[in-house]
Amino acid sequence: MSEDWHSVTLKIPFASEKHALIAKQTIEVDPELQPHAVKRIITVEENVLIAAFSTLTIRLARLVANAFLENVDLVVRTLEQFGEEAENPPSS
Amino acid sequence: MPGKIRKTPLMEAGRDYLALGLEGSANKFGAGIMKHPKDGAATVLSNIRHTYITPPGEGFQPRDTALHHREWALKIINDCLAKAGVSMHEIDCICFTKGPGMGAPLQSVALIARTLSLLFNKPLVGVNHCVGHIEMGREITGAQNPVVLYVSGGNTQVIAYSRQCYRIFGETLDIAVGNCLDRFARIINLSNDPSPGYNIEQEAKKGKRLVSLPYATKGMDVSLSGILSAVEAYTLDKRLHEEGAEDKDLITPQDLCFSLQETVFAMLVEITERAMAHIGSKEVLIVGGVGSNERLQQMMGIMAHERQGQVFATDERFCIDNGIMIAQAGLLSYRMGYETPLAKSTCTQRFRTDEVHVAWRN
Repeated sequence: MSEDWHSVTLKIPFASEKHALIAKQTIEVDPELQPHAVKRIITVEENVLIAAFSTLTIRLARLVANAFLENVDLVVRTLEQFGEEAENPPSS
Repeated sequence: MPGKIRKTPLMEAGRDYLALGLEGSANKFGAGIMKHPKDGAATVLSNIRHTYITPPGEGFQPRDTALHHREWALKIINDCLAKAGVSMHEIDCICFTKGPGMGAPLQSVALIARTLSLLFNKPLVGVNHCVGHIEMGREITGAQNPVVLYVSGGNTQVIAYSRQCYRIFGETLDIAVGNCLDRFARIINLSNDPSPGYNIEQEAKKGKRLVSLPYATKGMDVSLSGILSAVEAYTLDKRLHEEGAEDKDLITPQDLCFSLQETVFAMLVEITERAMAHIGSKEVLIVGGVGSNERLQQMMGIMAHERQGQVFATDERFCIDNGIMIAQAGLLSYRMGYETPLAKSTCTQRFRTDEVHVAWRN
């Protein structure tokens, strides 16, 4: 019964739509570890990354939200470190 | 035609190739940049690593290890590019460890690899960690067709190459030899700095007495968990004493380190010798973290010389987990046309060495 499930939606703005799409494509590759208890939909609207989770238990809601945010943090830091260099290819 | 050298399927490079390799399957994060020049031998441009060292008596857990990698990876990758004097734009492919190893640390590295791949529009190459060790060992030592002893904290295998596959001739039936040594180091509270295995090796040099331990080769394989239990039992023995005098019936932790090494290394030498006899090889290549143990190299050397053969080993830059071996194995695959699509760039804790199609060799 999906009405008994818990839902968490996270919206994270990025510097650009390109970066938000990179985050989506990077994070969505790994499947959820408990697909029968966690449903996940990741989308991008303009420069905003949106992750909507439905979970069977509150504990799972906390775990998936936490894991997702940790992954977003890693992607954001990588984009921060290398983003500028990527925009400026050396002229050959 | 006797003595004919078969040409490798790997074509001449034709141009310079550059690969970035990222490794994080256990407690070391490594990044390396490998160059395959259009003419000439492969060159290591940079190889930087940071190890997550836990306090004495503690092992490393997946979550903390993943946090360590997430904390250190970006700085190490940056340092690696700076040392090599290349930019991400010049890299041809981004190689990362697909497996085997610990789940969360592997995934942390894969996330970074994917982000870089999308940001700079570079292909990804997923690499088998064991094949990485083997290819780096071959490259550094120049061994032609050795029996490979791959021994580390996570793996213990005897491997020989045949028809585009690294075939496993013998392996541990339970735990890896490095795991056995590391867990014993924790039991006797040795420091994990620089690594528990290194400290066991130093303590073993001070050991004087060989205590009786089970010797557990099983045909071509070995079993190590029983030996760990046995040596652990000695630590509860009444005769255990910090400083033993030779005339008294006392056992020191140094004696136990010595006995453990002598026993497990003799077993490894035996199963390696079996593989050598089976395929008629005269070369042994030792790879993996435990391969940096000088006593193991010495014992293997004695066996190899008796068979008119020789032992190849690399130093700790390449023996212990590192990024350059991933770059090397990844670049060889890439040059044969192999790439990992984004959707398939997941990581896996179990990835057998013989699952890889070794397209770059005959």
